Amino acid sequence: MIGWLLALPALVVLALGFGLPLAVLIRVSLNRTVETGAMETAFGLQTYRKILADDFLGQIALDTLGLAVGCAAAATVLALPVALAIRAAPRGWQGALALAAIAPLLVSGTGRIIGWLAILGDGGMVNALLLALGLPSLRLINNWTGVRIGLTESLMPYAVLVLLAGLGRLDPRLDEAAATLGAGRVRTFWRVTLPLAAPALLAAFALTLVLGLSAFITPKLMGGGRVFVIATEIFDLALETVDWPAAAALAMLLLLGVGALAALRWLLPERSR
Amino acid sequence: MHLLLERLSKRFGRNPPAVDRLSLAVPRGAILALLGPSGCGKTTTLRLIAGLERADEGRVRVGGRDLTDLPPERRNIGVVFQSYALFPHLSAAGNVAFGLEARGVPRGERSRRVAEALAMVGLADLAQRKPRQLSGGQQQRVALARALAIRPEVLLLDEPLSALDAQLRDGVREEIRALQRRLGTTAVFVTHDQAEALALADLVAVMNEGRVEQCGTPEEIFETPATPFVAGFVGRSSRFIGVVEAPGQVRIGGIALAAAATPPPGPAQVFIRPHHVRLDAEGGLPGRVVTRAYEGATALVQVDLPFGPLLAAVPAGLPVRPGDVVGVAISPEALRVFPA
Repeated sequence: MIGWLLALPALVVLALGFGLPLAVLIRVSLNRTVETGAMETAFGLQTYRKILADDFLGQIALDTLGLAVGCAAAATVLALPVALAIRAAPRGWQGALALAAIAPLLVSGTGRIIGWLAILGDGGMVNALLLALGLPSLRLINNWTGVRIGLTESLMPYAVLVLLAGLGRLDPRLDEAAATLGAGRVRTFWRVTLPLAAPALLAAFALTLVLGLSAFITPKLMGGGRVFVIATEIFDLALETVDWPAAAALAMLLLLGVGALAALRWLLPERSR
Repeated sequence: MHLLLERLSKRFGRNPPAVDRLSLAVPRGAILALLGPSGCGKTTTLRLIAGLERADEGRVRVGGRDLTDLPPERRNIGVVFQSYALFPHLSAAGNVAFGLEARGVPRGERSRRVAEALAMVGLADLAQRKPRQLSGGQQQRVALARALAIRPEVLLLDEPLSALDAQLRDGVREEIRALQRRLGTTAVFVTHDQAEALALADLVAVMNEGRVEQCGTPEEIFETPATPFVAGFVGRSSRFIGVVEAPGQVRIGGIALAAAATPPPGPAQVFIRPHHVRLDAEGGLPGRVVTRAYEGATALVQVDLPFGPLLAAVPAGLPVRPGDVVGVAISPEALRVFPA
């Protein structure tokens, strides 16, 4: 009872800042857009039907899923050595290293992307290096490649966090036991470390996948207007086309999709959650 | 000698060395106990033998082969960890098979040897259980089977009984002993429990501050301690400060006692084991009984002598009570005298 009372201010803020807009969003998504582009009050699923039948939006949904799955997988795989290295570090260093690994979260998304522009841009560090080596330059920004790089990087801190929390079962004694039994580092990694890290890897993948599906800033700023994902499409529908019912309905569909993915985890066996 | 440690040293950071120029020799098939208080370097010594720590100096040799520079996976030394360190995602059989897979033992022979090792520790029926489905004692046996399945040159056990209930310990101790005997495996185990060391080992090395104080059979360690530390650490004893006056004679607090062996004349410390003290001697030293603790077959009696309190282990039937004045006799062989 007292818990509820203490939570009341936060619940009120949530209701006003999250619940209410969501309700408005649902309501708007049920409206109709007429030929002239104006919104007309209605109460039906016509906008949803229109979106689901739209091949262009279907392609965008597939692209978004592909981007999110690829980047989440890459972020998770790249985060594993980072998390393992932090765990293997001397105790006094672990906190500082973990902080360093998640420091990108402390920088604004826009600031981080400006950093990427300096590295990946046509006159950026990578291409300057390639030029100096006499190699052909690469287009690393304002396309899917740039978005993939940027999104993977922005997801990694989350993956590191989840892995650090989830690798509790990895007792360093197990590595030692494997070594005394004759297993080299490679065998120990595949037969001991990886199986025991699997639940944490799955959790990290699930979280970064959900974040990747709804990513907006990175595709918008690093895609150079050439990369379309659901989040950027919602933005365009709402602010460029000014088709609010379509934007609202697409947002609802994205929310449902993400919710469904999150719900999938509850179907997994208890132990691997 | 099957296992030879030659002047091994290991220092962590700026601390005093954990292991300090330690040398030991264990004959093939023997079982050695590393006994000492916590922090004496016994576990570090074990880890140096296994290759889990790199020695700063010294050599580790097994069967004439110098292992010092080999990583643990190439030493063929089995280890039973204090926490067992079983792989939680593998069954008992999977754990035992792990070392055989790493050695590339073909599938057929592998399953035969896994079954053999599990049968050896009496766990044939539980082969498919995961570690968390096994009791502490069963996990310990899986760890033992896993370490023995690779047919190690040397078996190392870190506090093998410390995680077990008191009732289980004696049984498991006997099993480990019997298995080690049957397989003829040279073994080293670490313990801080002297009863365990004396009962289980052929040789006991008493360690203190990274060095071996004395290495010998349990009887030698117990009956003829080589240093004051060993005399004080192993078994119960009463300690006195005195003076060696002449060969064979020690004076403690004004009373002259005969001793079988003495260092050159000078200040000395004297250790006396309770079971070497008699309280029913005619014309012995008069002493007053202070406390009496019944211990089953014997009673531990504290007697006040003119030069201080002395412990005596006497038959439980001996009728002494606190307050009694008794005649105390100490045989010359009972006195262990060291220069102070």
